[in-house]
Amino acid sequence: MTDSGRRTVAAPIVILLAVLMGGLVTVVLDLFLLWWAALIVGVTLAFVLVAVLAPMTPDRGRVGADGTKEEGTPLHNVLVLPMALVLSVVGGLVAGWMLDLSLIEPVAAASGAVIGSLLAFVLFHRLAAMMALSFAAVLTAGVIAIGVTAAVLYFSGIAPLPTFERMLEYGTRPNSLVQIINDSTTYYLAAVAVAIGFKMKLFNIGVDGQYRLAALLAAAVGGYLVLPPVLSQFVVILTAVAVGGLWAGIAGYLKVARGVSEVISTIMLNAIATGITAYLLTEGRLAVEISTNNIGTPPIPESGWVPGIPATFLGSDREVYGLILLSVAVGIGYWIMLNRTRFGFELRATGQSQTAAEASGVNVKKMVFLSMLFSGMVAGLVGLPQLLGNSHYYALDFPTGIGFIGIAIALLGRNHPVGIVFASLFWAFLTQAAGILPFDGIPQEIAVIAQATIVLTVVVVYEVVHRWGRRYQQQQIGRQLGRTTESTPEPAAVSDGGASDGAVTEDTDGTDDKRGGEAQ
Amino acid sequence: MSSTPSGGGSNEPAAVELRGITKRFPGVVANHDIDITVAPGTVHAIVGENGAGKSTLMKTLYGMHRPDEGTIHIRGREVRFHSPSDAIKHGIGMVHQHFMLADNLTVLENVVLGAERRHGIGRKARARIQELSAQYGLGVDPDRLMEDLGVGDRQRVEILKVLYRGAQTIILDEPTAVLVPQEVEELFDNLRVLKREGLTVIFISHKLDEVLSVADEITVIRRGTTVATADPRTTSARQLATLMVGGELPVPELRESTVTDKVVLALSGVTVLSSEGRPVVDDVTLDIREGEIVGIAGVEGNGQSELIEAIMGMRRASSGTITLEERDITEWSTLSIREAGVGYIPEDRHRHGILLESPLWENRILGHQTREPSVNGAWINRSGARADSERIVGEYDVRTPNIDVIADALSGGNQQKFIIGREMSGDPRFLVAAHPTRGVDVGAQSAIWEQLREARAAGLAVLLISADLDELIGMSDTLHVILRGRLVAEADPTSVTPEQLGSAMTGAGLDGSDAHTEGDSGAEGAHRNESEGGA
Repeated sequence: MTDSGRRTVAAPIVILLAVLMGGLVTVVLDLFLLWWAALIVGVTLAFVLVAVLAPMTPDRGRVGADGTKEEGTPLHNVLVLPMALVLSVVGGLVAGWMLDLSLIEPVAAASGAVIGSLLAFVLFHRLAAMMALSFAAVLTAGVIAIGVTAAVLYFSGIAPLPTFERMLEYGTRPNSLVQIINDSTTYYLAAVAVAIGFKMKLFNIGVDGQYRLAALLAAAVGGYLVLPPVLSQFVVILTAVAVGGLWAGIAGYLKVARGVSEVISTIMLNAIATGITAYLLTEGRLAVEISTNNIGTPPIPESGWVPGIPATFLGSDREVYGLILLSVAVGIGYWIMLNRTRFGFELRATGQSQTAAEASGVNVKKMVFLSMLFSGMVAGLVGLPQLLGNSHYYALDFPTGIGFIGIAIALLGRNHPVGIVFASLFWAFLTQAAGILPFDGIPQEIAVIAQATIVLTVVVVYEVVHRWGRRYQQQQIGRQLGRTTESTPEPAAVSDGGASDGAVTEDTDGTDDKRGGEAQ
Repeated sequence: MSSTPSGGGSNEPAAVELRGITKRFPGVVANHDIDITVAPGTVHAIVGENGAGKSTLMKTLYGMHRPDEGTIHIRGREVRFHSPSDAIKHGIGMVHQHFMLADNLTVLENVVLGAERRHGIGRKARARIQELSAQYGLGVDPDRLMEDLGVGDRQRVEILKVLYRGAQTIILDEPTAVLVPQEVEELFDNLRVLKREGLTVIFISHKLDEVLSVADEITVIRRGTTVATADPRTTSARQLATLMVGGELPVPELRESTVTDKVVLALSGVTVLSSEGRPVVDDVTLDIREGEIVGIAGVEGNGQSELIEAIMGMRRASSGTITLEERDITEWSTLSIREAGVGYIPEDRHRHGILLESPLWENRILGHQTREPSVNGAWINRSGARADSERIVGEYDVRTPNIDVIADALSGGNQQKFIIGREMSGDPRFLVAAHPTRGVDVGAQSAIWEQLREARAAGLAVLLISADLDELIGMSDTLHVILRGRLVAEADPTSVTPEQLGSAMTGAGLDGSDAHTEGDSGAEGAHRNESEGGA
């Protein structure tokens, strides 16, 4: 199919060819090389094949998600294509490695290569410039963060590379993986709770207090109220949601009715929540003695637990929290709410420009209150995977501080339902992987440094890249429309047309605060 | 067409000389091949439409960004500015359109802020300020608190700040935009003193009559480049306007009257109080009929914005009623009012009309988030909204590659056309059009006028608020003048001239022969008479 210039090849055939190419090359090379090296070569070749066939692949006037025609632009060649290649290879590697945990190596490698080749086709044809920019930003931020962490290690007299290697090795052990998934289940809920607020430019710092109070009261309900299975779990979850919502609702109400900054009020409410939990968690109130050194709410009877999911597919005999499904549901619900519902539209509109939302008939106060309420309701869920899946009671040693981790993860995941998934997995990985370091005499805090650095770099790099991307997009559109000499639009009075010589005072300029709602 | 500078001798080197200045921004060339020579001791005006590149040029001259090509000479020496402080060192000062003053500080503190090294912050600085104030006739008292000063005084403080920093050339960016007529005259007197004292003034404006009255030389900028240099003594405003837009201006005009006697929106005694309890809209009574465009003329800040906000339910009227087709909507929410068939073209589209970072099709939903085809119950109807966005883009000639681009990527005129298309959809009964052609290019302007005419012919009632008097006169069936929140006069758009309207707007009253108090109530006439007597 290389000889005739104008022949077209249907997309399914190209996909098939790419997959065959990637899979076969990998299988053959697997005999001589390490599986991952074989996979990289295989997927890369598949990508090249897709690229070569691209001119012959019929495509409906390929347009990026941002609406600009991208093919052939320097950005596309320099950034989008390499990003597509990198992402396909990484996707293939991750898939291969995951499958390797439960399948034999050649099969896993081949399957990984097939997935990578599929990705190669999809990404080559569909990766939009703005998406590629985002990935590039995150990648850059990751590299910077690793660099900074390495520098810290180096100057503390610790060899960086062996340390990273050790973390990677420990962090990818089956049992670690289960722990990572479980941790990220919790982190994810916290981050979504924060993200709902962020979308409205509301800073719910109170997720921490909301989930602790919710978990305590939910645990007490579950422990004291013996209900039939299913109903019990349902009531416990409902309690947590209600308490979380109520606690955040106070901050929402104060903001709407009294103009109290939600930052201040949620910080205060965190302190109050700590006080209330301490007050309630004493013997004679809600707590009973759990063990010699620990008191907590009475354990929830087994019928009220949420069973775990065996993690044999990861090669571990531990269990993944059953409530991971709740996290998934919350993530999907968040996405649907944001992108498909009127409420979500009004939420985003208010977050982007409060003035425009108001002028369009959005009841901004109601939106502020409701989004605070929803944020709190999701925050109420944060403690539940731990409560119903593992400890079954709320005791003194119940994990704290997840609300603050949620803020970092929401920032890292750019408030995007999928972005937050990766951010929480990554965060949990770093925490888990650092667990091995004390055994080597390396301070575990290295993970905290890495986490903090990456949040900072992602926020900064992403913002820079995003702005640049926006300018670039405007430029592309300007070029397409042949607009040459119009400078940035100023909303101001047009010329008076020259006929009103006597009317000196006829106009005054508009405000230049045209991006009022955009304060970052 | 050059003029002889009235100030310094002609063999002196130019105060400022720009040669071949080109400045590109991503996607646009904001300035190209700009050549300007400003003679010392003159007032040099730079005129051009909004978006023509005046501000970009001045930012280049003030060192806020560097030109991609071209040279700047100050008094014969080539300079390169890396920041405004470089420009200040070379004696260039700039008075921004929006004042940069701290309200809670005194004049003295504001002036020395950031220039403490010159004369300290104490007695020497005060003496210097008094000296400058006397020399240039600015009449500034260094110990007044800034928040006690009026707009004109604040502007003089800004000028003083620039002089205090040793400026020989002062750039004034649209200085009259914030002033009332008397203050404009005072400013011009100040400028004449500055000129007499040997300073050079660069005056940026798009108000031709002002430019003609104060400038010694005028440079016209169009589409980013200098197109002509004119002598104000031999040039008329009409000639300048033609130079500015590069061709004949589109003329706003209505064809035959389509006014019916069916009242769509009726305001009766509407009063809106400011947060301090002062009436900003004062007892406004007004009927707008089907197929009628009612224009409101007024100096900005005389209650127009508040009146619109009261109609749109964004601000509560403290008394009076607003009736839309026999339903009292005074207490309704913005959403209900919009749902009842009221369209709204806001005066500041970036603040009130559009989500800059959202794609066009999502902007189609804005303000229509409860109505077909954008939504389906509680759900966003993506395909409906997208299809209708395509319709708007087609019908209203919005120049965009497609409906997935973010609104910010479009030019102001195209954003405005999209907003108008959106507000016209859903079969509105009544439209609030605030400055519908503000900041849009000439082509978009005539398209927007045509759309308003068509909607009017189809029976839409329109409230038109504009600062463009020609637009008001040409597009209105009925024309009212608003002053300090009151409707003080009603003019006949077929016979009134901009001059008469302008004088009514400032409280001098319409010329009796050309205006008619044809209003239905005597109240309006009374207001008018009152104002004729007063300020």
